[in-house]
Amino acid sequence: MNIIPLFIAIPLGFAFLIPMFSRKVRWLPDMLGNLATLSLVILSFYTIGRTGNYYMGGWRPPIGINLVLDGFSSLMLIMVSGVSFAATLFSVQYMEKYTSKLRYYSLFLLMVAGMNGVALTGDMFNLYVFLEIASIASYALVGFGCDHEELEASFKYLVLGSIASTFILFGIALIYGMTGSLNMAHVGQMIQQQGMGPTLLFAMVMFLMGFGLKAALVPFHAWLPDAHPSAPAPISAMLSGVLIKVLGVYAMMRIFFNVIGVDEKLSWVFIGAGVISMVVGGLLALGQWDYKRLLAYSSISQMGYVILAIGVGGMAMARGGAGANSVAALALLGGLFHLINHATFKSLMFLTSGSVVYGTNTRDLKKMGGLFYKMPITGLCAMVGSLSIAGLPPFNGFWSKLIIILACVKAGFYGIALVAVAVSVITLAYYLKLQKYAFFGEVGEGLKDVKESPSLMCLSMGILAVLCVGLSLLLLPGPRAVLLDPAVEAVLQGTDYITVVLGR
Amino acid sequence: MFGCSPAAGSAVESGLAKISCCGYVLLYPILIPLLLGTLCLFIPKRMRYASELLSICTSLATLIITICLFTIRPWAFIWRAYPLLNLDNLSSFIMVAIAAFGFLVTLYSVGFMKGRLHLNQYYTYLLWTIGASVGAVLANNLILFLAFWGFLAITLYLMINLQEGEGVSEVAKKALIIIGGSDAVIIFGIALIWRIAHSFDMNAINIVINSKLSAAAYLSLAIGAFAKAGAMPLHTWVPDTSEKAPLPVAAFLPASLDKLLGIYFLVRISTDIFKLNVAMQTFLMALGSFTIIAAVMMALVQHNYKRLLGYHAVSQVGYMILGIGTGTAIGIAGGLFHMLNNAIYKCCLFFAGGAVEKERHTTELDQLGGLARFMPITFVTCLVSALAISGVPPLNGFASKWMIYQGVIELGKGGGRLWVIWLVAAMFGSALTLASFMKLIHATFLGQPSSDKRVSEVGPAMWVPMVILAAASLLFGIFVYKLPLKFLINPAVEGVRLSGLWSAGTATILIIVGIAIGFIIYLLGNLKGLRRDPHAYTGGEILPDEARVTGVEFYKNVKEMQPFATLYKLAEKKVFDIYDILKGILSYFTGLFRALHTGILLTYITWVLFGILVLLWIFMR
Repeated sequence: MNIIPLFIAIPLGFAFLIPMFSRKVRWLPDMLGNLATLSLVILSFYTIGRTGNYYMGGWRPPIGINLVLDGFSSLMLIMVSGVSFAATLFSVQYMEKYTSKLRYYSLFLLMVAGMNGVALTGDMFNLYVFLEIASIASYALVGFGCDHEELEASFKYLVLGSIASTFILFGIALIYGMTGSLNMAHVGQMIQQQGMGPTLLFAMVMFLMGFGLKAALVPFHAWLPDAHPSAPAPISAMLSGVLIKVLGVYAMMRIFFNVIGVDEKLSWVFIGAGVISMVVGGLLALGQWDYKRLLAYSSISQMGYVILAIGVGGMAMARGGAGANSVAALALLGGLFHLINHATFKSLMFLTSGSVVYGTNTRDLKKMGGLFYKMPITGLCAMVGSLSIAGLPPFNGFWSKLIIILACVKAGFYGIALVAVAVSVITLAYYLKLQKYAFFGEVGEGLKDVKESPSLMCLSMGILAVLCVGLSLLLLPGPRAVLLDPAVEAVLQGTDYITVVLGR
Repeated sequence: MFGCSPAAGSAVESGLAKISCCGYVLLYPILIPLLLGTLCLFIPKRMRYASELLSICTSLATLIITICLFTIRPWAFIWRAYPLLNLDNLSSFIMVAIAAFGFLVTLYSVGFMKGRLHLNQYYTYLLWTIGASVGAVLANNLILFLAFWGFLAITLYLMINLQEGEGVSEVAKKALIIIGGSDAVIIFGIALIWRIAHSFDMNAINIVINSKLSAAAYLSLAIGAFAKAGAMPLHTWVPDTSEKAPLPVAAFLPASLDKLLGIYFLVRISTDIFKLNVAMQTFLMALGSFTIIAAVMMALVQHNYKRLLGYHAVSQVGYMILGIGTGTAIGIAGGLFHMLNNAIYKCCLFFAGGAVEKERHTTELDQLGGLARFMPITFVTCLVSALAISGVPPLNGFASKWMIYQGVIELGKGGGRLWVIWLVAAMFGSALTLASFMKLIHATFLGQPSSDKRVSEVGPAMWVPMVILAAASLLFGIFVYKLPLKFLINPAVEGVRLSGLWSAGTATILIIVGIAIGFIIYLLGNLKGLRRDPHAYTGGEILPDEARVTGVEFYKNVKEMQPFATLYKLAEKKVFDIYDILKGILSYFTGLFRALHTGILLTYITWVLFGILVLLWIFMR
């Protein structure tokens, strides 16, 4: 049996089942939500090392819609499922204070279905549809608390997100007009035959802006620092942890690397956007006094690292020459590794923020203090998360930053490597600021009786914290060949994707 | 690890030890403390003795293993043709030193940390520190080295945070930002080395500094070593940490262990990995000399026992860097020997300070005094160490300083004028060191007591380590040829040629001149009338506080002299603190960007449109 469609069917099905059947039983939504994400985690491990196609309704491309599973989408599926399981586990107790868990889980699973769809689809219009499913669910989830601040953030996110979606749709329409096809592989084939024209270049600009906004690249980042902190903590973890990566980075890489093909100009845009995002996001995070807002700006900065690495990889691919392939492979390895690392430690940090808010009822760093000994598990997890993002050994962030800097230097971008080093120091600075004000120092006013969060929340954070240490092992030759290398190869093959999908 | 060059394999066969099948032994001194330390974390808080016993046993076991390994070097641990760990003459003696200090600090902690909270965490971090340090010293692969090295910054951060009190978390943050930040710079340096030499194996790399790229690579690595060892301008975390961290931590990390590691790495990169050119050597010597003088000047005016020691911890690094910078065999050997000696007496001085703190609950110099008769062991060990750090013969500090002087003189034989400056700076620094320790000894142990509360000598868990260290100072000084040089230093540095230690008249005379200058400065303090005859106290009445002489103000006149007055004032405002300078610059830009984020949707949409226009311009022009 082909399991590929299950990744969309399971969350979509549960999203509708939960509100239908569990109105009366209080524990059923929690149960079903966790069951759905847990089954996705198990299924996603089944995709490791597999590739395959699924033709919807049996129609072959280019006429029908197909789902494509390769190393890259498999990595995305594992990432999405893992983080969503941690988030649903955390939600069980955390979401008690909000009303209507039914709607919450329903929207949550719709978002997961959208992301899985984006990761799997081989059709451009289908990509847009899944992207919108995930986006619209996330607009609703950002405003889930229905307070003034949350609704405002949700509205901003909605407006900017819709602009991006419209541009993406416009780009797809242009491509359709140009090639007469929507199937990604088929489009790629037509583009190779027709060559670059102004229409295609215009469409590329539309895609860059649209996916760039979803990935929160500067200057399209402005929605993120409002939206991510306002959402309930597990949703923030999902948004920062996986949504910006799947809708932004993954979709961008799939279209530019596998369909259109990278050239030097595009790579420079990636590198430039990456460096600017890194620096601006980092500097802005340094000045924040809101726990979650600091994390949100940090996401912008860390996505900059990913995009930078991808740009360096694309540059090496575009330039070619001796040893270019190994440089590109190294850069993409660094980028993708940082992508999944960021998914673990940023979702971990947002969950700890939820735990802190649960205990202290505040997000203001100035009002906290001394929580390390009051909430030992949360404190330890936040410490692990912070040090991981800051890139200190032996945590996973150290290794991915190391590879990115090595790749930059190997490709000859010394100045950019130095910027990456400098931003790494800034990252360390603002995470230590967070540690200092939230977890160390004098115990904040009125926080004498703070207690550790309930067990499931701790369990969920603990899983991610262990992953922060454990993911370092992915670099060892054995695990790397199973998980990371296939993903890198899938990107590295560039437009050979077409032949793989179409089989000719 | 990341597709190393095939050259590594051949280098293994030629450069490394022949025995590779059982190199797993080298993992023991790393893994035993790391694993048992982790175990310590899970010991319940009630069972304090269990965690103390476990950590003492573990550190003792590590010490024994390292001594055994020391006798059977050289050795290497090779994994899949990558020589990951390498035990050579340099790393072996530093490894033993680390384990020895680790054991002494653990022993001392049992006495000192009694009654504190979170003891199991403390011992865990302590053992992790020992294991990771041994790992850093043994590592032959640059990335493995960096992993251990960076982990040490985390344990330091966690240990500082264990102290309760005002400003501690700020100090911890500052220390980790400076050290962790410089580790990020090391990554850049390693990347450059990889580009130049296509290898991560220290024993396979040999780069001559002849281009901007290689110079940048060397400097990036050196910055890491400077930050760890506490050389200027990356030293600012050392005095702060010394003052605020739990005392055994201050004695262990900034005072001894970080010196061992930082100088080890500096020697490693300056002799093995890179071949220095004259410009780089001059840079090192200038930095060393500047560090000696500037830090000792700051030490002179400190009011806190631990902070004063912290500045000396910086100043002494200057000597080591100066010695290494000479590039002569005797200079490098002197630098290494001074590193070891400094760790010995500095650790002992901190321990003495801890004993005082334990009894008097303060280390502010103006609240201490007259402790010599109550705490004779502490007094004597502290005095020996203070004389050793000042370079008074026949203690160990003299021997190593003398070797460094000789290295500078030997460099001078090759021509040039600059060596005179380095020599004078080193000697003058020695004099000022003595002067500042006179103040410290006087204010703490001599003079009138600050209160009539009787105190007693500390327990054996605390004085035994102090006595061991003071005895080591004495032994290493008197039997300098027979013990340390023969077994430890000379194997590590090739071609050390010593002329007779006591017959070299010029250097000895210069030392004596240095001491004389110290006395003169000391007497200057007397002339001000700051010291009074103790008979004022014999009436049995307690003097009012303002009349009591504490020694704190010994060098007030130096502080008021121009141009020092201005410099001191600026230093107090932290104008020279690189951490605060960068903080200021960054917060300016942060403010700038924050002002742009107004929260108004239309502004944000404008940015989006602007971004599209830029993209269109890039792609469509």
